[in-house]
Amino acid sequence: MKTMIRIFYLLLGLNVAPQTAFAIDSQNLPDVPPGIVTIRTIDPVKLVGYTVGDIIEREVILTIKAPYKLIETSLPITGYEKRYKGQVIGIELKSVSHTKKENKDSATFDIKLAYQIFTNNVVAKNAALGPEYLNLINTKDSKDLVKYRIPNLDIAISPIAIFGQVKIENNMSPLRGPLLLSNVKENKWLKVSIGFLALSLLGLLYILGQRAWLPRMGGTFAKTHRKLRKLPQSPEGLKLGVAAVHESLNTTASMSVFSNNLGIFLAQKPNFSPMATELQQFFSLSRQVYFEPNAAHGLGTNPQQWLQSFVRRCRDCERGLTPETSTQKSGS
Amino acid sequence: MSDRQLADWRNHALNLESEVNKVVVGQQTPIRLITTSIFARGHVLLEGDVGVGKTTLLRAFTRGIGGGYQRIEGTIDLMPNDLVYHTYLGEDGKPHVSAGPLLMSGENLSVFFFNEINRARPQVHSLLLRVMAERSLSAFNSEHYFPHMIVFADRNQVEKEETFEIPSAARDRFMMEIPIVVPNDDAIMEALVFDTKFHNVDALVNTVQPDVLQFDQLNAFSNVIQSSVEASDTLKKYALNLWKATKAPLDYGVKVSGVDMNRLVLSGASPRGMSMMLRAARVNAWLNERTAVLPEDIHAVFHSTVAHRLVFSPVYEMRRTEIAREMLQGIVNAVAAP
Repeated sequence: MKTMIRIFYLLLGLNVAPQTAFAIDSQNLPDVPPGIVTIRTIDPVKLVGYTVGDIIEREVILTIKAPYKLIETSLPITGYEKRYKGQVIGIELKSVSHTKKENKDSATFDIKLAYQIFTNNVVAKNAALGPEYLNLINTKDSKDLVKYRIPNLDIAISPIAIFGQVKIENNMSPLRGPLLLSNVKENKWLKVSIGFLALSLLGLLYILGQRAWLPRMGGTFAKTHRKLRKLPQSPEGLKLGVAAVHESLNTTASMSVFSNNLGIFLAQKPNFSPMATELQQFFSLSRQVYFEPNAAHGLGTNPQQWLQSFVRRCRDCERGLTPETSTQKSGS
Repeated sequence: MSDRQLADWRNHALNLESEVNKVVVGQQTPIRLITTSIFARGHVLLEGDVGVGKTTLLRAFTRGIGGGYQRIEGTIDLMPNDLVYHTYLGEDGKPHVSAGPLLMSGENLSVFFFNEINRARPQVHSLLLRVMAERSLSAFNSEHYFPHMIVFADRNQVEKEETFEIPSAARDRFMMEIPIVVPNDDAIMEALVFDTKFHNVDALVNTVQPDVLQFDQLNAFSNVIQSSVEASDTLKKYALNLWKATKAPLDYGVKVSGVDMNRLVLSGASPRGMSMMLRAARVNAWLNERTAVLPEDIHAVFHSTVAHRLVFSPVYEMRRTEIAREMLQGIVNAVAAP
């Protein structure tokens, strides 16, 4: 009987021995020599404010130089509950996946880890994702087993609701920025207002501008308006001004415009319709200046000033604008 | 002559227009042009279809002007001497000679109306043209003068059978060629048909106030108008440009649809034509109470004083009226003043 018992223990020992003999405790292995492994992690931007049910994704990219290579069975296992000082901390590895890319003298592993939070607390508490330990083996020496530690990522788990009366200033984490109000609406209105302001500014420049940098600018009346401002205040200046306006009218109409075909001109260029009366006044002035010195033009003592404002309004018509009301009354 | 006298004469002229407008309705523009030619002392060629009122129009004017009125019908067998005298056998059985239409009114002849001038032979035209140009005639061994005479002639442009085209030299003697067209206003057309006052022409013409003007003072007053109404340098330049444009329209960018402009004009307006144009423009300015001629005054008479003087290539003669209208309007549109 004793023999039987010994044989049973012997067999039991043999059965268990290989597993215990070949099982590798990663944390007991020596660290990988420096320079063999390089690591790059893509961590979540948010490090605080997690609560129960949240999933946190982390990507680890390892480059392992030869002759070491990763023992892929040492990758973390889904469902493993993380512990800290032997205590379950309530963070579970939800999924793990990896891709491998072999290079000439190295191999790159892209490991995607997703952790899920299964804990909560009445106050915020610190937690960490990881660390994770991976085993590496020297391909030239199968006895050379080493470990590599993927550093942990510190996060903070927040309560779903504040328990009891809390003075918020005392509860604020330096890791968490100030609470912000949404400014999307204000931003939208700011952009609309800036756009409106810019258009208004362009419109103002269009009205006041002299150069031909917008459509319909630099027309013949715009040029004449500039020319008139440079003419001397004298009968000769008036004569030149009237001739320039005649030229502008003719250019605009593509024909010679006289008082007796003004109707045709206005029919062709309805933009100038608000100027019908003033155009007749202009022809009265032209009549006095060029043909009949005794004729009365009824434009007051400074017809040159009237002519300038008349041309300005013609310029507005040319640009498709409604001409501003004449402030200078004829005959004044 | 004072401004007041100018104004008085203008009132008479406008009164004459008004009287004629009562008799011949819907013809304001031709009536204004005929008034202009009377005061510019120019002969008038009327052009229009049959029965549009040309004769009535002239008779009405003649009644208003006063003086002698004579008329002759153009026919293919009309001879020049028919204008000067008639021969007939008297009651005494002897041949007698009496004065023809030209001589009948003597120096008081104010209107000589040549109806359908293009039916008369060129010999008749030549006599008439001399009378028009010189206002005198040699007959019966003496010189006869017609200082107050204005010739009104009309021609029917539609019928070409048994007609003689008036040569350009003859056309040039007329100050104006005025088209008379049927008014297109429905009310006027209806009145012309249904209003019985238009059916009796003699009675109608008799409603015109007689002797509104003094025919024997028109020459002197015409000179007053011509000397009173001024033309500025700018206007002179404008008129000259218009003249040049009638000679070389292409130089001014004038084009007529369907016409080779390089071949169209054989001769533009003549110096006489342009001087007549400016005479007429001065009268138009006076009628509009102006003391100087404006481009608008020239426009008012430009077509009627220039169109008939243009000499076109024969290939375009059949479309003369239409081409002349388009070309002259193109010139007015192309030439600027100042």
